[in-house]
Amino acid sequence: MDALVVLILLLPLTAAAVIGIGHVFGMLCGVADEAVTARIASWAITLSCLLALTLLGADLFGKNTGSFSAGQWLGSDSLSIKVNFITTGFNVGLAALFSILLVIVTRFSINYLHKEPGFYRFFFALSLFSSAMLLLVLSGNAVGTFVGWEIAGLCSYLLIAFAYDRPVAVINATRVFVTNRIGDAGFILGIGISYFYARNIDWNGLNAVAAQLTTPTATVIAMCFAVAAFAKSAQLPFTPWLARAMEGPTPSSAVFYGAIMTHAGVYLVILLQPIFEQAPFAMGLLAVVGLSTAVYSFVVGLTQTDVKSSLCFAISAQLGLMFLECGLGLWQLASWHLCAHAVVRCYQVLTAPSFLHYVHGNPMKPVPRDIAGLRWLYTASIQRFWLDPVTDRALVRPVHGLGHDLGYFDDHIVDRIMGTPARAGRAISSLAQLEGKILSSRPDHDADEFSRGSGFAGKFFQWTADIFNWFEDRLVLRGIGIDAIDMGRQLGYAANKFEKLILKPRYLVVFVFTVLLLAAAI
Amino acid sequence: MSEAGFPLLSLAILLPLLGAIATGFTPTVKLAKSIALVIAGCELLLTLLIVQSFNAGSGDFQLVEKYPWIPFLNINYLVGVDGISVLFLPMSALLTLTAIIASWNSVQHSPRFHFALLLALEGITIGVFTSLDTVLFFLFWELTLPPFFFLIGLWGIGSQRRGAAMKYTLFMLFGGVPLLFAIVILATNHAVAVGGAIPQALSFSLPVLLETPLAADLQILVFFLLLLGFAVKAPLAPFHTWLPTAAMEGPAHVTAILTGLKLGAYGILRFTMPLAPAAAVEYSWLLGILGAVTLIYGALIALQQTNLRRLLAYASLSHVGLVVVGIASLNMQGLQGAVFQLLNFTLVASSLMLVAGMIQHRLGSTEIIHLGGLAKVMPRLTCFYFLFTLASIGVPGTNGFPAELMLIIGALKAHASLGIAALVSAVLGATYMLSYIRRAFFGPITQSVVSQAQDLSPRELALLCVPALLVLVLGFFPDSVLHINQMASEVWLSRLLNPAP
Repeated sequence: MDALVVLILLLPLTAAAVIGIGHVFGMLCGVADEAVTARIASWAITLSCLLALTLLGADLFGKNTGSFSAGQWLGSDSLSIKVNFITTGFNVGLAALFSILLVIVTRFSINYLHKEPGFYRFFFALSLFSSAMLLLVLSGNAVGTFVGWEIAGLCSYLLIAFAYDRPVAVINATRVFVTNRIGDAGFILGIGISYFYARNIDWNGLNAVAAQLTTPTATVIAMCFAVAAFAKSAQLPFTPWLARAMEGPTPSSAVFYGAIMTHAGVYLVILLQPIFEQAPFAMGLLAVVGLSTAVYSFVVGLTQTDVKSSLCFAISAQLGLMFLECGLGLWQLASWHLCAHAVVRCYQVLTAPSFLHYVHGNPMKPVPRDIAGLRWLYTASIQRFWLDPVTDRALVRPVHGLGHDLGYFDDHIVDRIMGTPARAGRAISSLAQLEGKILSSRPDHDADEFSRGSGFAGKFFQWTADIFNWFEDRLVLRGIGIDAIDMGRQLGYAANKFEKLILKPRYLVVFVFTVLLLAAAI
Repeated sequence: MSEAGFPLLSLAILLPLLGAIATGFTPTVKLAKSIALVIAGCELLLTLLIVQSFNAGSGDFQLVEKYPWIPFLNINYLVGVDGISVLFLPMSALLTLTAIIASWNSVQHSPRFHFALLLALEGITIGVFTSLDTVLFFLFWELTLPPFFFLIGLWGIGSQRRGAAMKYTLFMLFGGVPLLFAIVILATNHAVAVGGAIPQALSFSLPVLLETPLAADLQILVFFLLLLGFAVKAPLAPFHTWLPTAAMEGPAHVTAILTGLKLGAYGILRFTMPLAPAAAVEYSWLLGILGAVTLIYGALIALQQTNLRRLLAYASLSHVGLVVVGIASLNMQGLQGAVFQLLNFTLVASSLMLVAGMIQHRLGSTEIIHLGGLAKVMPRLTCFYFLFTLASIGVPGTNGFPAELMLIIGALKAHASLGIAALVSAVLGATYMLSYIRRAFFGPITQSVVSQAQDLSPRELALLCVPALLVLVLGFFPDSVLHINQMASEVWLSRLLNPAP
């Protein structure tokens, strides 16, 4: 029965491929083909749901061996990454639950998205997501889980940017993807460190050697995966992405942020239970972050006035509680909490638009008195504790500023030192007329050309001649006095500029970072 | 070393060169184009045949051909391939073929010369990848300059194309000088080592030089000379400024070849590291830092670019930095990841550049203020661009992922800070690529010229389909590439880490 697992993943993937290729090459388009597309997508996910249930049944009757390998994906020296799956226990149960929810959402979307311009795009992304999510929970090694993890993030990008002609939607999508990418970096770091210290990237193998790992090693591995989990499950300080992600169509919000994808972080932590148990500090971190996210989401949720954002803070609060439970060692409770929450939240988000319809015209409820009395808390809650602006200030802007300064440095200093017949920065357009204009605006062009060397020897002699010329001109002819003052002033300017630059926080940070890296290297 | 029964490699070098002559002297333009296309197609088949007849089980040089060239100095015509270089052949052939198809209608003046130059460039490039004699290599290396000079200078799309061509040539000539010095030092060292007289006992052959012991101080000198020579071409910061200029001024398909074929990184892999093994191991930290600086530097500047072609130039700079980090990590994952990533460039970086050329061709600009909302009018072009972007930022399912994963694991194994630099660049990479997509392809249409643009023509669709397919296939089955270069990589590493006494 173990081999079924491959089909569970391949069916939605094939559906995605068929829809994607068909749409790009114009074989599936217009309202007429909507029915075909819907049928492909829903049949694929329904079949894979049935297979997942069969697999679960087989597991309950003890017919599964526990793992299934479909060969090697990548092999390099001692690093061998297999395509293998876990076919027992929590993973299979979760796969069955998620696939049921996916069937429901797919069915719901067929009517919801009827005659939308992005109909095909939606079903492409949804099918791809189904496959990725099932891979995430079924994969037997860290790389497979990461593949699902990352592709799920990509689908979330595609669906947040569903209405891509609205700039806000695309800005949010990009921001969400990049935020998640930070978590992904933690994941990759975790894979690398596991491979380095534990010589193993299979989940089962990693958990089996967990007891032999020293506490610092286990802590480092656990922390890396915890960062990834925090980013995916919208825990502090990554929480704001969840509110941004609500931009997509309702079914996608339900499936991505309500029912399935945000639970991936909790799933990862539960999966790595033995590692976390070796690392008390990481457990503490889980508890602290979970608790503070829950409190944060509760306070912010109190003042939300629209259904989607209040739901989204409710989601992050519940996820925070799950992390708290994990941190306290209540693993069973956390996994049941995960499953129950997925079901309830899927229903809630799917019915949110109808809910809005029913309560239309009802007076708005006032803010609870407890928080209305505390002015500072109220403001903080309305502003969502300024998390987004703080990230902007602390991270996004300095990085952009650094990029800007380096761009200037590249154009004006590196390029100039390297000697340039054509400057990189000044190329603006392809107009041939411009060339004529530049040439004609330089009357002394010929004179310049006369003393200009070419090739290395030429340049060398030109420079020597220039230096002598400068020496003759400045020092001998004009006298030393005025020039020295000028030079001093220029030096002063340069020093001032340097000081200003070095005092900017981003350079201080870079400086400190470099020193730390150097210290680590030694 | 196994000798070749049939001179396949020489044929692969000569066929495009002869084709170039035929194309140049054909009376009609139409016929010339067809000849160029057919020759490029045959060359692709020929290079695939070479890969087919290559034995992946051996880490040695294969299909070797040796003929005396300048007997007085012991210089031979010596060509051969090993697992590291063999896959670059079909990739260069494919790249040339796509470049020819991409420029099919866009070349207005002297098209025969243009297509002849593209073919000549192909032959010379294959010469660079196959030559095992240092002098022959140097000849091919310098011969790549004239075609690029004319292609950028004559058919460039920027107003300063002549200057750009000049800049490129001057940089490359500068890079050639240290190479030549290093080659002479190595040859004379061989003469001294075997105790022969100078002209007779000189040796320029790479397999012989690899076995010749080199004194420690000379190793350091040779290492830095070769590194300097290849760093200019690769390019590594701060020798990279020719690349953005060339990307802005040159025609898109030539820039695609320029960014797709990373000859400099290949040179570091083939010559710099193995020829001075002790120095390479000793100074691998320096190479790693150089790579990491290039990596972060390129990514940060790319973040600020408003023009697609300049953005891609800096992105390619950043990726070269990652490859150099992989080479410097001196382990199998880093090395195989580096070779894999170099192969990816020929598919991904070049296709992105070609798409940029298509946008330029339609709208007259790749500057962000002239674009916006392209997805609405050109959905197919956007799809392909998006796929190549995903490959470039290393999303699973594309070929960028296995390569980047191996590079990062290799770097982490070598030194934690190198690995962290690579991870930071992965985040930055997603940021600059997706921010550009956000502003140029999504959002509302603001320019009237955009709303009238045509989507991909069947010719363009066909030429993008092949790399797109390969991107996915290599992403799903990376082992198909890795098993070809596995043995050669092991030999390469053992030469560095366990030098013969």
